Amino acid sequence: MNILIAARLAFSRIIATKTRSGLTMLGIIIGVMSLIALVSVAQGATSGIQDQFKGLGARNLNITGTTNQSLTTDDVKEIEKLSGIEIVTETVSGRVTLSSNEASTRAQIIGVDQNYKTVVDPDIFVGSFLPDVTNASDARLIVLSTTLASDLKLDAYSIGSSIAVGSTEFTIVGILDDADGFGTRGTAYIPLETAFKYVAVPPYLSSITVQTTSEEIVPEVTTNLTALLKARHNITGEREADFVITDASQLLDAIGTVQQFLSLLLGGIASISLVVGGIGIMNIMLVSVRERTREIGIRRAIGAQQSQILTQFLIEAIVLSLVGGIIGVIIGEVVAYFLAQLGQWNFALSPTMILASLGFSMFVGVVFGVWPARTASKLKPVEALRFE
Amino acid sequence: MSTVVEMLNVTKTFGEGSSIVKALDGVDIRIEKGEFVAIVGASGSGKSTMMNLIGCLDRPTAGLVKVAGEDLSELNDKKLTSLRNLAIGFVFQSFFLLPKTDALDNVATPLFYRGVPAKEARKKAMEMLTKLGMADRHTHQSTQLSGGQQQRVAIARALVTEPSLILADEPTGALDSNTGKQVMDLFEGLNREGITIVLITHDLDIAKRAKRRITLKDGKIINDERDVA
Ligand SMILES: Nc1ncnc2c1ncn2[C@@H]1O[C@H](COP(=O)(O)OP(=O)(O)OP(=O)(O)O)[C@@H](O)[C@H]1O
Ligand SMILES: [Mg+2]
Repeated sequence: MNILIAARLAFSRIIATKTRSGLTMLGIIIGVMSLIALVSVAQGATSGIQDQFKGLGARNLNITGTTNQSLTTDDVKEIEKLSGIEIVTETVSGRVTLSSNEASTRAQIIGVDQNYKTVVDPDIFVGSFLPDVTNASDARLIVLSTTLASDLKLDAYSIGSSIAVGSTEFTIVGILDDADGFGTRGTAYIPLETAFKYVAVPPYLSSITVQTTSEEIVPEVTTNLTALLKARHNITGEREADFVITDASQLLDAIGTVQQFLSLLLGGIASISLVVGGIGIMNIMLVSVRERTREIGIRRAIGAQQSQILTQFLIEAIVLSLVGGIIGVIIGEVVAYFLAQLGQWNFALSPTMILASLGFSMFVGVVFGVWPARTASKLKPVEALRFE
Repeated sequence: MSTVVEMLNVTKTFGEGSSIVKALDGVDIRIEKGEFVAIVGASGSGKSTMMNLIGCLDRPTAGLVKVAGEDLSELNDKKLTSLRNLAIGFVFQSFFLLPKTDALDNVATPLFYRGVPAKEARKKAMEMLTKLGMADRHTHQSTQLSGGQQQRVAIARALVTEPSLILADEPTGALDSNTGKQVMDLFEGLNREGITIVLITHDLDIAKRAKRRITLKDGKIINDERDVA
């Protein structure tokens, strides 16, 4: 008996027992659906972050102090003398209470110098970023993130009005577009010099960002920076440095690892439900073999080989799991699409993922179909025929 | 004349120790091509056991069983199955049509298992249904057919492989006497065409219509009589 006839037999059997087949497939449908949806969440969510980091610039190196007093403005002066450096920007940060007429909230405030705009290139929603105020002694200007602005019940017309940073009045010059800025939600920006007056203690910095002249020399500059800062901070031998240098590639690698881990974790959880679905198929197939003992006996009597009975039942299990898999893929992609809308990341059909899910469900069908199919094929014709 | 079935000193026992049952006890028979044999006997006399051996569904405990020239004890399951498919056409008391399968595919199934392409198998099946007057019912499933019609489909299925032997276990047992008679008419007709038929029955009126009667008692043949031609 060729495979086609066995497949047709399996299909007509599945159609003839619609309700039972549907319920049997449910486990596989749910398993594949969650596999597709969860893995797409893991990938969608992290690839969004990855894109944002790529935008951050592959030429940038970020130095952060491990203590409040690790980095100083003098460090910056020395760093600027190193070769291969295009531009350096320094920041300080502190937490303060911001108050508008209508609301107040705690926020992270970052003091940035005039280079910050060039290096980081923040997206402005309305107004402008901080102007160059290098020579002004007390420029009380502030830029808010959209999130912060709305927390303070401010709108686009608030540009030019003032809010209190602690007890000092600042003028709002711009509101940032949070949508594609990473880590800027709930952050406000003020000029560096001003920050030293109100929220931070000079000459200590919280971070220094270095833009190199080209992407290729990033490792070399990293080495030189490390040597320079270690020397300046008197760190010798095995002592741990009081600063950390990160570049985009490290962040991207880190996010890649997180993405892989998340995919594996969520995919693993979903796979368990797929296996449970497989056990459901096995269970029903075993019942079905028992119920159809007489039929198996007839088939054996009129000349079905053991291998042909095995094929028939195995194909039935595979068709059940594969059809379940196909339905699961369709529902899973629809769910993934809506989750992507909700989470605002890009939705993409992944052929690899679809094929892998279908392959996996077929594999589950084979694994859990073998036992019932073998049971069926090993029935003794005489006894099967006599079975009531 | 060639020999279709040969049994030499055949014993078949079930169970062991004190509960051992001798279902067949030293049976010798030969059935030649073209014969119409009825096997009769009381319940428990060993008729079905004998039919299972002739039908290549089982092997003897001792003795020789040859069907279409093949010694059953020398065949593995695969060869035994092929022999059933090639040499035997089964007709059962309760018809045993395949569920959820139409009459046409029921008849074609033995050919499917033999590896005949589906189209050709269905063509032959249709011819056989036509011969038995069931052509207009070829799309019906067993649940949509009367007992007599089901038995006709079953007989078509038995004949489609052109077997050496039709083996029928109580083929009229589940039919009313009129339909039963029609089935017997059918068998007589087939036998006239040269088809070998072995029929198991405990109905002596049915047995009379065969040309030879073998009577079993407690697993032994106590009578073997032929109509004089
Ligand atoms: N699988 C088996 N296991 C144990 N004993 C069996 C088995 N098959 C048959 N027997 C025994 O063998 C003997 C012959 O049984 P068999 O079925 O051949 O009788 P039969 O002539 O067909 O009877 P009936 O007319 O009632 O069908 C009986 O005593 C029966 O109990
Ligand atoms: Mg019997």
